[in-house]
Order: sequence, then C-alpha cells, then structure tokens
Amino acid sequence: MNGGAGAEDLLRELAPQVLGVLMRRYAGLDSCEDAVQEALLAAATQWPATGLPDSPRAWLLTVATRRLTDILRSESARREREDAVSLATPPAVLAGADAWLAEGRTAGARGSDDTLTLLFLCCHPALTPSSQVALTLRAVGGLNTAEIAQAFVVPESTMAQRISRAKQQVRAAGARFTPPAAADREQRIRAVQQVLYLIFNEGYVASAGASLQRADLSAEGIRLARLLRRLLPDDAETAGLLALMLLTDARRAARVTPDGALVPLVEQDRTRWDRTLIAEGAGLIASTLATTSALGPYQLQAAIAAVHGEAASVTDTDWAEILTLYELLARVSPGSLVSLGKAVAVAMVHGPAAGLAATDELAGVLASHHRFHAVRGHLLEMSGDPVPAADAYRTAARYATNTAEKRYLDGQSRRLRRL
Amino acid sequence: MKYMLIIYGNKELWDSIDPAEFAKEIAAFDAFNKKYLARGELLGAYGVADAAATKLVRLTDGQPAVTDGPYLETKEYLASWYLLDVESEERALAIAAELPSAKFSPVEVWPVLHEASRETGVDTGVA
Repeated sequence: MNGGAGAEDLLRELAPQVLGVLMRRYAGLDSCEDAVQEALLAAATQWPATGLPDSPRAWLLTVATRRLTDILRSESARREREDAVSLATPPAVLAGADAWLAEGRTAGARGSDDTLTLLFLCCHPALTPSSQVALTLRAVGGLNTAEIAQAFVVPESTMAQRISRAKQQVRAAGARFTPPAAADREQRIRAVQQVLYLIFNEGYVASAGASLQRADLSAEGIRLARLLRRLLPDDAETAGLLALMLLTDARRAARVTPDGALVPLVEQDRTRWDRTLIAEGAGLIASTLATTSALGPYQLQAAIAAVHGEAASVTDTDWAEILTLYELLARVSPGSLVSLGKAVAVAMVHGPAAGLAATDELAGVLASHHRFHAVRGHLLEMSGDPVPAADAYRTAARYATNTAEKRYLDGQSRRLRRL
Repeated sequence: MKYMLIIYGNKELWDSIDPAEFAKEIAAFDAFNKKYLARGELLGAYGVADAAATKLVRLTDGQPAVTDGPYLETKEYLASWYLLDVESEERALAIAAELPSAKFSPVEVWPVLHEASRETGVDTGVA
C-alpha cells in the first residue's frame, strides 16, 4: 500500500469494523469479506490522490456495500445460469443503506463487539490452525491474500485456496455472526489467543532469515493482541499474552548473529534488548498477576520472560523464582516442552546433575525433538562432559528444522569437539 | 511446515503395470493432486522423464562437459516429487499414504529446511 503508513494503519483498523457492519446486515462471510477487501484496495489506490475522506469509515462502508451488491448480483446470475432455475433476486442491498451509514460514521461499542465476533468466527473450531491464522489475518488484520502468502512463503493461489476453503468451512459449520454461547465463550477466547500467538511466533521464529515480510507477522501479532486486550480488558490471559509477546519481541535484535545463527537467551547481549518493550511487558504482567483470579499459561510464560528481562545477566537471574513459575506452569499447562524448560531451571538452582535427571523421563516423548537434545547438550557441558555434550548438540542439529537453530547447534557441537 | 514427498522407481516397475491399470493410476494421481491443491496443502507436483534421459554436466577446466546420467547408480531412481505445506508431520505422513503409488512403492517424506524468498532470493530459513 502506498497511501502512507498513517492511511494504511487506519485502513487496517477500520477493516474489521466495516466487515462487522456488513456481516450484521447480510451474513455471508465470503461475500462480505471479499467486498471489504475490494473497498480496502479502492481506498489504498484512491486516497493518496484525493486525500482522506471526511469519514473514512463511512467511505469504506459505502464502497464495500456497492461491491457487495455487485458480488451478490453476479453470484445470483451465475446460480441462475447454472441451475436454469430462477432463484431469489439479490436483496436490494442499497435500499435503506443510508440509515445505517450514519451509524457507520462512529465505531462505538457496537464496532468493538463486531470485531470480537469476527475474531471468534475466524478462529472457529471447525478450521485448522493454519486456516484460522490466514482468515484472521485477512478479515481482522486487513491484509490481502498476496501479503499473507508472502508471509508464509507459499504461492498466492495456495493461500487463496486456503482462505476460500476456510470461508466455506465456516459456512458449512453453520456459524452465524453472533457471539458464542456463554458456555463456549472461554474456550473460544482461548482459540483466538492461540491464533494470535501463532501469528506472532511465525514471524518471531522465522525472523532469523532476512525476510522482513515474516518479521512483520510479529508486529501484526502484537497489534492484534493489543486489539484483543482493548476488547477484553478484564481477561487476564489476554493481558498475559500481550505481555509475553512484548517481552519476547524485546529480545529480537539480540537473538541472532549478523550471519543468521541463533543466540540462546543465556548468551545474548542484553544491552541490545529493547528496554521500552521490557518495561511495558513487565509492567503489564506485574499488574495482571496482582489482580488475576485465573492464572493461565500466558501469564506464567510472561512472568518467566519478565524475570529474564529484568535480570542484568544470567548469574543475576532469579532462577529460584523461574523454577517456581515453571512448577506452576507445569500444573496449569502440563506438557513435555514445559517439563524441559523446568529441567533447565532445576539445573540452574540445584545443579546440572539434577537437571539431567529431570530430562530422563522425557527421553521417550522428545526423542526426535531438537530442543531435548540441545538442553541435554547444555546440561552435559555444565557437568563437565564435553564429549557427550558435543554428541547431544550434533543430534539436536540433525533434528532442527530451522536454519538459525541448526547453525547454532552445529556450532556448539564443533566448539566442544575442539576443546 | 513444508515437506517433500518423493516417489522412486525404475522402468521395470513401471513396465510391470498393466496399461489399463496404468491409465487408472494416472487418473488417481490427478484426483489426488486436485484434492490437495484445492485444500491448499499441495504446492506443486512434478514428475521426471526416464533415467535414460538424464544428463550429467561437469565442469572440466572451466568447460562444461555433458555425459549421460544419472549421477547416483542405484536400482530405483527419482520418479516424482510433491511439495506440501501442512499443519504437522502427522498430516504430511497421512497425505503420503494417500499417494496412489504408495500401494506398490514406498514414499519418502523429507522436512524442507531451506527456501529462497521469492522477493529477495534470501533463504527464509523455515521449514
């Protein structure tokens, strides 16, 4: 988009609100969403020349409504051709539109509710995680298919297939543009949080490669998490999720070497951490933990990240506090990778032998996970066993599926072999 | 996660399949490709010519010299490959089992580690 960063931010903020208004009137995620995308494109091409309209929201709504009329007309014509049966004529979309265009001038509480409902719809349980991610980026994030395809390094036609299939599945599941039932609400909120975390992580993990497009996904994940926090200000896990993203993102500049090898947390140059992000994330998680009534995995992971973020060095780190947090995390969200993180904290508090013993029970489940062998390598080296440590690092490198991690693990293995 | 599925074979194996059966197999491959392209899980499907058509290019004193291939002398040679982008390894394995040829020849499943960005040419470093 060439309409300047300000116009682009505005468009992407307005996109879900405009879609929400259309959805409330006409349902049909696929047609409404296509109409909004076309309106966004029209704005991006026209606004730089004409300047911002008086009410950008009403402008988008008007254009999107016109596009929707065209889409519904052509769909209806196609159905008539295909079925040779005259189906219902398209609804007179524009009739009466003026009345609610006035409403379209202000976002208000309704706009927020719509955006939340839209998030629930995009993260519908009938969809796979990657479909939920793609649909959320398009319908709520306001990104176009080409941008999403670029971010995930797949052909645009593939991403277009995924998005259109996701819309069909939402329709087939009978999903309506209404908030989920109270009984399902918690679970659906968790699904939305997971999707936002996937978006953030996709950009973060991949940011080792020089592809800025992918790093942008982290920024998009944070933007959407801020949006979700505005929509759900009392949800402690949403606050935890945003804090976790901020505290993780703060370490971005320090986590890879210029030649693209990963630098693990303990070896990072902490002067390169973004103190502003750490302060915001740590402040947010501290105030959340002070009032939370439902401790969850995002809050605990954010709390762990905050302890690291506020420590001047590895030796200054309050590992006992981190171990306590891992024990809580293992209780609310048990899993082998959480146990692995806990084993590192055990080693830092009680020594490497205790840490290694804690990893023993994971040898079966994590046998082909690179992180298990990387942790073993680290703890074996701490125990003064460089040869088995080098072997563990080499095994880890063989299982790694990320170039930066693989490069780091190979480097560790070579370094220990030279000792 | 991206995965490459590889099918190997040789002329004897392909010749051993009854022609009518072969046509049915081709139709089954088309149906497989269509299904997974539409699901957005298959990025591309490719098949190569017979091993006898392969050439080897070597630089000798800076001059290219062309001889008959393939480079690796094995019983089975590369026949087809498929590029997937899927949710998980389990999903890649399930799709591999659906390849029509899986009935008579194993399918190799490789996680893809390197891919050059279409915009910059730089390795995206992701599977």
